[in-house]
Amino acid sequence: MDLVRSWVGERLPVSGRQFKELTNEPVPYHLKRWWFALGGTPAYLFIVQIFTGILLAFYYEPSPATAYQSVEFITREVAFGWFIRSVHKWAATLMIAAVILHQIRVFFTGAYRRPREINWFVGMCLLLCTLLTGFTGYSLVFEQLSFWGATVGANIADTTPLVGGFLKNMMLAGPSYNQATLSRFFILHAAVLPVTIVLLIAAHITIIRLQGVTEFQFKSEEGATPKTFNFFPDHLYTELIIGLLLMILLSALATIFPATMGPQANPLQTPEVIKPEWFFYVAFRWLKLFGGTVAVLSMGFIIFTMFAWPLIDGWIRRHTKFQEASVWVGVFGALAVISLTVWEAVARH
Amino acid sequence: MTGTLKPDDQQGSDRRKFLGNASRLAMVAGLAGGYGGFTAIALRYLYPSSTDDRVWQLVTDVAQVKVGESIRYRGPSGETINITRQNRNGDSDDFIALSSTCPHLGCQVRWEAQNNRFFCPCHNGVFDPSGVATGGPPGEAGQSLSRYPLKVEGGLLHIAVPPPRFSAADAQGEIVTAAEEISGPGHDPCLQCGPRRHRGDAGVREI
Repeated sequence: MDLVRSWVGERLPVSGRQFKELTNEPVPYHLKRWWFALGGTPAYLFIVQIFTGILLAFYYEPSPATAYQSVEFITREVAFGWFIRSVHKWAATLMIAAVILHQIRVFFTGAYRRPREINWFVGMCLLLCTLLTGFTGYSLVFEQLSFWGATVGANIADTTPLVGGFLKNMMLAGPSYNQATLSRFFILHAAVLPVTIVLLIAAHITIIRLQGVTEFQFKSEEGATPKTFNFFPDHLYTELIIGLLLMILLSALATIFPATMGPQANPLQTPEVIKPEWFFYVAFRWLKLFGGTVAVLSMGFIIFTMFAWPLIDGWIRRHTKFQEASVWVGVFGALAVISLTVWEAVARH
Repeated sequence: MTGTLKPDDQQGSDRRKFLGNASRLAMVAGLAGGYGGFTAIALRYLYPSSTDDRVWQLVTDVAQVKVGESIRYRGPSGETINITRQNRNGDSDDFIALSSTCPHLGCQVRWEAQNNRFFCPCHNGVFDPSGVATGGPPGEAGQSLSRYPLKVEGGLLHIAVPPPRFSAADAQGEIVTAAEEISGPGHDPCLQCGPRRHRGDAGVREI
């Protein structure tokens, strides 16, 4: 045993204690509250997505002639194919929900404020990449929603002044949906975006480790409660338990509500009712309300404002007496997003 | 050390230790069960399912193949088959359809009419006209070429082969012409000379 230890120790000169110290970030006590694990949840779900995504890629064939058939083959014929696909779909749904909830939590606890502005920017990039991955993901199934979602999405991009035509051509690999479009979506979905997300998550976590997690003290914890606890093993155990609970939830959802297949994409017929996935309901309703260039430019402005919010909030807090302006802006924003989403969900057109 | 503890403390310490170990065990069991189960599912998912399904495919007009001749046929899912005519009765018993993939290491065997045998160029495997190995490594191992069912309907020869894979659902089997090279799965068709010099040189009549 000692022989093995010295052999390994010579080649990997890190002792167990050093390793423990390296990873043993003191974790603020408030993280014992479960809703503060909303940042780790999307990270865990992202790992599930990589794992199930690689499995799906073994059988998926990204061309208009084969895409739908290969998804059908996975769903109906491959052993446990329906399960892997359903877990992939549900983990995507939960990941997007968890990212949004995490952002809401960070926003309302003011955790984006100085000196953590850069990590908010990184987080915003992660949100956009997650949404884009969702969009390219459901395009791959090549059912009616996939085809018309991609077509509508590209034409929305087209209405952007100056760069619209360029964006649309880049997205579709041509002026309209064609033979090369699907492989483009596939490479974006399965290579470009995941690698970008991995790099962004690395930056996100590095910045957290450099600055430390924002500390809160709840009224009930004043006095004797210790300020921090150990990352290893305490917080790791919490994360492992969350991981197992998520696996149970995913398996249950995948079994009870498995991923289905809509009708195959038909470029000659737009369905009567066409809606994107739920996380784009808000943008879809916005487009119906304002139409074309106005909607695209205003959405661009809103996304820019979300990016720049730590700077805008800092300016408001320094130069005005509205110290809690962000709370009101956040409440208004959340209500707007929720009502537009619900509106789109219940409306037929 | 324990002598300094009161019996109650001792009991509490034992209980804590037991609960600590029990929760650790539960954690390990949960992780192993959860992720182990998922890994098993993933492996089952990756392992290709075998199907016994067969579909009938048209090969050719019976009159097109003379007695003693062999044609090469490629099924819709890619397997290659030598179909040899041995009699002139006009029914399916005239023909024998044998896989052209050598059971030894997967090279392509070819029909040698002058020697009345199938021959594998990789390791000199020899098979008689019914596909039974008579020499070379497959002969020693007692391996045979696998056989496909045939039928004749209205003077047309049909063969039962595995159905095409999902992405080529419309694929049809076809007769391989002499100009085409059949590449065998898994193994270089010829270890020394490369496949091109072998093309059509073995006295096989290929349509």
